[in-house]
Amino acid sequence: MRRVSLLRLIAVFVWTGLSSLGGGRSAYFHDALVRRRAWIRHDEFVQDFTVSQVLPGPNFSNLAVALGYRLAGIPGGVWGLLAIVLPGALILVGAARLYLHGAFGGSATLLMQSLSAAVVGLVLVTTLRIVRASLRGGRGILVAAITFLAVGPLRLPTVGVVLVMAAVSLALHRAAPAPPAPRAERGNPEGTC
Amino acid sequence: MAELALLTWTFLWLSLLCVGGGLGVIPEMERQSVAIHGWLTAREFVDGYTLSQLTPGPNMLIAVFVGYRAHGVLGGLLAGLAMFLPTSVLAMVVSHHWQQWRTRRWAATAERALIPVGVGLMAGGVYTLARTAIHDAPTLALAVLTALAVISDRVPPVLAILAAGTLGWLLTR
Repeated sequence: MRRVSLLRLIAVFVWTGLSSLGGGRSAYFHDALVRRRAWIRHDEFVQDFTVSQVLPGPNFSNLAVALGYRLAGIPGGVWGLLAIVLPGALILVGAARLYLHGAFGGSATLLMQSLSAAVVGLVLVTTLRIVRASLRGGRGILVAAITFLAVGPLRLPTVGVVLVMAAVSLALHRAAPAPPAPRAERGNPEGTC
Repeated sequence: MAELALLTWTFLWLSLLCVGGGLGVIPEMERQSVAIHGWLTAREFVDGYTLSQLTPGPNMLIAVFVGYRAHGVLGGLLAGLAMFLPTSVLAMVVSHHWQQWRTRRWAATAERALIPVGVGLMAGGVYTLARTAIHDAPTLALAVLTALAVISDRVPPVLAILAAGTLGWLLTR
């Protein structure tokens, strides 16, 4: 069951987590585990990637858990999770300390405002790319647009919106034959959390 | 104690809303953290998201930021555990069985029906961040500039953000 030693797994996962700046990007895992080390086959990776996207939860950590489990069983999943979350969490707590205790005061506040505006530009592009790659047909666009209006401008609670819209979407998608599924493009390497 | 339990519970159910990229949970996370529980201000929330975007690892470390702001290191630890642990267990169980499940028709229909909802939630996340982060012409210009840089695919996203941030800082200082 165990394909690699836990120590090697931890080392590679820590490095992958640390180098995936700007939000976890699954492409880094593909590069580290499939292309450079051949620990995992491409089709296995795609399967774990799909699972991590479909399931609720931060998908970058879902992916790390699924890959770690594949490589070394339950200990691999546990250590895979810790290896990608802990280093970033420690760095973030350090940054949060500085930020919240006023070390970011004065002109650094202006820097944070500029950085935040830039982040909006990034997430906008990421989202538009996913819209283009995954929305096909009027039904999907309608469901996405209403969901957006409800949780964005209208600020309605997400749980209620998801329950209603998921039911509506299921009904709509059962009623008519499916448009060509854009599965091949479902990859979302920049939008993972 | 009750406060810590409330924080943990909130991030636990928020983690289950984290579909289609962490961005999808941002509207509800902001609503809970800012409007309902008052753990931090809207400005701090957006800055926290920016910091977690610039920090290595998952963006959803924003949970650790909110928890730390609300209740110090223990709050950060509990919020982080709530965000990552239960969904990780789920990921391990499902990935174990996925080989058998993936071919079933209900799985395909559910996936196809849920994608538009996830996309709508992500767009809501962009809106929620923009509502606080874009408040005048310079911040709008910076967002557009970064978007263009990212679309071009010539610059890594982190570099684009850092460059735009520095530019804005130099111009408004």
